Amino acid sequence: MSTVTPVLDLRGVHKSFGPVAVLHDVDFVAYPGEVTALVGDNGAGKTTLVKCIAGIVRLDRGQYLFEGRPVRITTPREASALGIEVVHQDLALCDNLDIVQNMFLGRERRRGMVLDEAEMEEVAADILAGLSVRMSGSVRQPVWALSGGQRQTVAIARAVLGDSKVVILDEPSSALGVTQTRQVLELVRRLADRGMAVVLISHNMNDVFAVSDRIAALYLGRMVAQVRTADVTHAQVVELITAGRSETLEARRDGRPGGRRSAGPLRAGAVPEAAEPPA
Amino acid sequence: MMKAGPSQEEIRRHNLGALLRFVHVRGPASRAILAENLGLNRSTIMALTSDLTAAGLVREELPRTPGRRAGRPSLVVRPESTRVYVLAFDVGVDRLTVARVGLGGVILDRREAARGRVAASGGASGAADPNEMVNALAAAARSLVRKAGDEATCVGAALAFPGIVRRSDDQVMFGPNLDVGGMAIGEVLSRRLGLGVPVAVCNDANLGAIAEHERGAGVGVNDLIYLHGDVGVGGGIITGGRLLGGEDGYGGEIGHMVVNPGGRRCACGSRGCLEAEVGERTLLDLAGRQESPDVPGREAVRAVVDAAARGDVVARDALHRVGTWLGRGVADLVNIFNPGMVIFGGTLRDVYLGAAAQIRSEVATGALAASRERVKLRTAALGDDTTLVGAAEFAFADVLADPVQVLARLRGAPASAPVP
Repeated sequence: MSTVTPVLDLRGVHKSFGPVAVLHDVDFVAYPGEVTALVGDNGAGKTTLVKCIAGIVRLDRGQYLFEGRPVRITTPREASALGIEVVHQDLALCDNLDIVQNMFLGRERRRGMVLDEAEMEEVAADILAGLSVRMSGSVRQPVWALSGGQRQTVAIARAVLGDSKVVILDEPSSALGVTQTRQVLELVRRLADRGMAVVLISHNMNDVFAVSDRIAALYLGRMVAQVRTADVTHAQVVELITAGRSETLEARRDGRPGGRRSAGPLRAGAVPEAAEPPA
Repeated sequence: MMKAGPSQEEIRRHNLGALLRFVHVRGPASRAILAENLGLNRSTIMALTSDLTAAGLVREELPRTPGRRAGRPSLVVRPESTRVYVLAFDVGVDRLTVARVGLGGVILDRREAARGRVAASGGASGAADPNEMVNALAAAARSLVRKAGDEATCVGAALAFPGIVRRSDDQVMFGPNLDVGGMAIGEVLSRRLGLGVPVAVCNDANLGAIAEHERGAGVGVNDLIYLHGDVGVGGGIITGGRLLGGEDGYGGEIGHMVVNPGGRRCACGSRGCLEAEVGERTLLDLAGRQESPDVPGREAVRAVVDAAARGDVVARDALHRVGTWLGRGVADLVNIFNPGMVIFGGTLRDVYLGAAAQIRSEVATGALAASRERVKLRTAALGDDTTLVGAAEFAFADVLADPVQVLARLRGAPASAPVP
């Protein structure tokens, strides 16, 4: 079996805030070209795990491999330098700035002493077009004038600017209408199809099934399963989220009655390679 | 006797077609890129390009966005999108669309008209008459042709139809949702246009499969299945890069695969067909909504999906049931064809995004682990234009097979006067 190196590979991650243990011995992998959905109840540790990945909080213990190499990430800037971007739930856009300014905020292109506005505008328009996003109006309109879906799109476009390898989306459709959710889901899928590793945090099981290749389920700070979406049912994922285990999924893995044999084992860290069929 | 190898002339025709197809599908390309991709040397590319340029099919020019590299930018070969076009007709149950599509796949102009729907009971409402439909299509096409001007040449035409069509003579054999009563639509339309090009008639979902394979979600995927939802459910299957047509061209009628033996009655006379279990009428019926001549099916389906997403339990239950049957059907298809991708188009795009959990759960339990492992489920990247784009691609087939000859014939022959 040939192997694809995961972009993100976290092993045995522990994190406590003072006396409160939040993550306990968590393994997590994300592959290029795939959407990995991170699911779990409130307080399961999803956001903390993402913060660890993005360098917003430090791991207490555990290994962090990026493209197979051990790395130490202690600040968001270091994560960003590796190509890891987070689109937060609140999007963190500046309302008074236009689309281009928002996309290049903090990393403006310069020509000599002055900003290269023409270049930035062109790149911004290219990226939006490349995401097959139709923005009504110009890339120079302020973001306060945009709809929820458009704002989400700008935030995602900002995340994929440059050489992003990992894009983490925290509940991207939580504040959106139905049509906009649809567009954002298709956009999320396109990002992965273009080779990025996408990590999607979502409570909406339908969104998870619509776009994900793998599902990682956290339960009370532990990673209870990281499975291929093609191998699980809705009911099984709900069990994993609410009870931390799924009888039918385990039965299936072991080849006992209760379903057709699944293609791979249940535990994270032993996730089968996805890209190539066995020779 | 041994068959002689292809003649010089055949090789040249083949190469002209290959070059034109490359820029048609992949967009403007430099001679170097063409040489590399077509496996021909640069002097051959130069000769082919000048032949195509002389025929008015391509032109060479500087790239539009200047390269950032030093040195003189190389010329790119660009298809003559505004001067060489086809007419694409898309006959939906609710709407008629006619577009002028330029070489390179650019939709240059389009006309759309809503169609009054024939009520399920059979009571006709206005536009049920196939003559009226052809009138509307011909009028729209003529207006597009007029606007194109004399400089532009129409090199083909094709019509996407929601029914099964015999390949040998383009006869519509069965269209339960849109009866044309044995009319040879292609011939009639071709006569009415008087452009000297035949109007090919094809199954809409088959064309959708071609479109998504060439320009949509399935680019580079040689084994894919396209599922199209309109009033009915159609399908197009591509295996080994080719559309599966079957003996007569009726292949890929996925909508009439029985997923629920003894289930709902289908317009084809059988019971429990995929179309009967997941089609628009069933979804609306389960959601407790009426089919209305005023609301096009697409909008009605979207309204149910929207209501479900907002938490309407009746709509949600309807969507989940439809999703479950759809998932069963997809599981069977995955087992039989081992596709690399299944694409949901038309109204099924909305159904997929709204019921993915049910659909994929069924695939996870119903499809063999090995077969389902790598299948990708995607929505149609061409959106509502999938079948229209497919018709255009089909219409370009002749000119791409023999570019110079076809063009010479069309420009040489004086167009017959259109039949009013």
